[in-house]
Amino acid sequence: MILTYTLLVCLSIFIFSPFVLIMIKSIGKDWFGKLWLPPTLTLDWYKWAINVARLPEVMKNTIIVTELAVAMSTIVGIFSGWAFGRRHLPGKELLMSMILLPRMIPPITYALGIARIFYGLNLVNTHFGIALAHVTLCAPYAILVMSATFEGLDERMLEAASVCGANPLRTFFHVTLPQIMPGILSSMIFTFTTSYNEFTLTLMTYGADTLTLPIRTYLAVGEGYWEVTSAMSVIMVLPSLLILFLIQRQVKPEQLVGGFKGL
Amino acid sequence: MSEWMIELKGTTKRYGTLVANDHIDLQIPRGELLTLLGPSGCGKTTAMRCITGHQHPDEGQVLIDGQDVTDLPTHRRDLGMVFQNFALFPHMTVYDNVDFPLMIRTLPHDERRQRVTEALRLVRMDELGDRYPRQLSGGQQQRVGLARALVYRPRVLLLDEPLSNLDAKLREEMRFEIKELVTQLHMTAVYVTHDQGEALALSDRVAVMNVGRIQQIGTPRDIFERPNSLFVADFIGLSDFIEARVDAVEGNSTWVAVKGLRVRVETEERLRIGQEVTLFIRPNRVELLEKGAPAGENVLEARVQKLTYLGDNIDYRVVLPGDWEIRVQTNGQQYLPAGSSIKVRLPPKHCHVIAEQK
Repeated sequence: MILTYTLLVCLSIFIFSPFVLIMIKSIGKDWFGKLWLPPTLTLDWYKWAINVARLPEVMKNTIIVTELAVAMSTIVGIFSGWAFGRRHLPGKELLMSMILLPRMIPPITYALGIARIFYGLNLVNTHFGIALAHVTLCAPYAILVMSATFEGLDERMLEAASVCGANPLRTFFHVTLPQIMPGILSSMIFTFTTSYNEFTLTLMTYGADTLTLPIRTYLAVGEGYWEVTSAMSVIMVLPSLLILFLIQRQVKPEQLVGGFKGL
Repeated sequence: MSEWMIELKGTTKRYGTLVANDHIDLQIPRGELLTLLGPSGCGKTTAMRCITGHQHPDEGQVLIDGQDVTDLPTHRRDLGMVFQNFALFPHMTVYDNVDFPLMIRTLPHDERRQRVTEALRLVRMDELGDRYPRQLSGGQQQRVGLARALVYRPRVLLLDEPLSNLDAKLREEMRFEIKELVTQLHMTAVYVTHDQGEALALSDRVAVMNVGRIQQIGTPRDIFERPNSLFVADFIGLSDFIEARVDAVEGNSTWVAVKGLRVRVETEERLRIGQEVTLFIRPNRVELLEKGAPAGENVLEARVQKLTYLGDNIDYRVVLPGDWEIRVQTNGQQYLPAGSSIKVRLPPKHCHVIAEQK
């Protein structure tokens, strides 16, 4: 009993201590040397982050990119998932491995290639371009989740709807869609977090007008303003926490993941 | 109004080289409950799917109420169907499940409510309207399935092994429930099953299918008492099959030779003398007699090889002279120990001859 709790406490310290450090750093002033806590508390760093680092604009970029990436991957995921889950595809296994490949190899290995192509197509420093790069990482998730979802869809149910007089369109909206909704939702959550956190591919495709939060935070580290960087990190974490909270409340994550195949 | 509610005209369906339905001709009159009976892979499900439109026949036509529906999509055929796995919509309540076909048909609100309530009452589920399917037992789910199939009063009700996922006792109860419901509503119904007991209990007529064809079609009594083939005799009920040869024919009586013995058989089938046939009798139609019973027609010496006590009846293996064994079932009162010498009588009117051998 005691051992379990000790282990749990150690684990949480291990996980949360860097984050707590950042939190304190972001609201502390003159925190040097051997002091346990900062002598004065301030919100200045947040003001700096917002005004000097132009965080609202960066936030806007991030959201646009993430929304585009989620939208594209979800659409790709629904159609490919339908094909994978409901139809006989020759070489299905091989095809699925190919689709999962970008997730298996380090993104840095092909990030440069993407950058080269994007320079040629004038997609560098565009929201669409960065989102497209993110899709290489997001779509595999979406396809995986959606094919598992479609596989789990009972064919008989669709037949029942048609016997009841529903044409294919109404069957889709009244029967299919409500049943694949959890899959779509879970796919959207995972693609959102993937795109929101994405760093490597963004680093190769961003530009002055399309700074995203992870990139801006990274640059701030280089600029040497630790306190501002900390404030940015805290701001960056908030949406992720919000989503986690929503998942916990609305849908059980283990249930969503339960729909996965081979994860 | 056509004479036949459903008509299949030479419908054929192939899957690659496998012929699932081989030129099936079938007419189902209005108000009849017809069962498609057969082992798995016999094509009964394919035949039903051709009627529902979930399968398009490669050849032939499907007519519903005289209208050629071969190329009509399922949702425009006006059918009701009950599924083996219930196929209820899991995201809808019982009420909404039953309401679904009416919602699709955009009926006025009041009428919808009235009809759903009525249908739920019919299957005794009116108290559970706001439950979800997963909160119901199998039997309850199938009742909802039935209500959903009946609520819009379709022309035809199709039942695809509706009781196979239920436990034995419930299955037996629901047989009669379904039969009663269909009769009460004057529905034309097609029932698919591999369970002969269900088929005999429910049907006005049974179509026994084998390898993509209808082997025999008739009333349950016809099928059981006068099977036209070894397959049907074997598939439905217990049978003793004995290889025999036609010895003499006189009017309705035929004498067949079985391992040096002569047995008289009443049959309407035209047989030639010397023809190789199979003598067939139901084990519970064979009479067991005491050793001292007087000799007579079709009375043969025999010995009890072994017996199995089954409660309601006793299952005997009896060896006859010439070393052939038959199975006999008698009611539990007639107890003859293993090894005892007895006599058996094969009543001529229960002996049948099928003009084929295994």
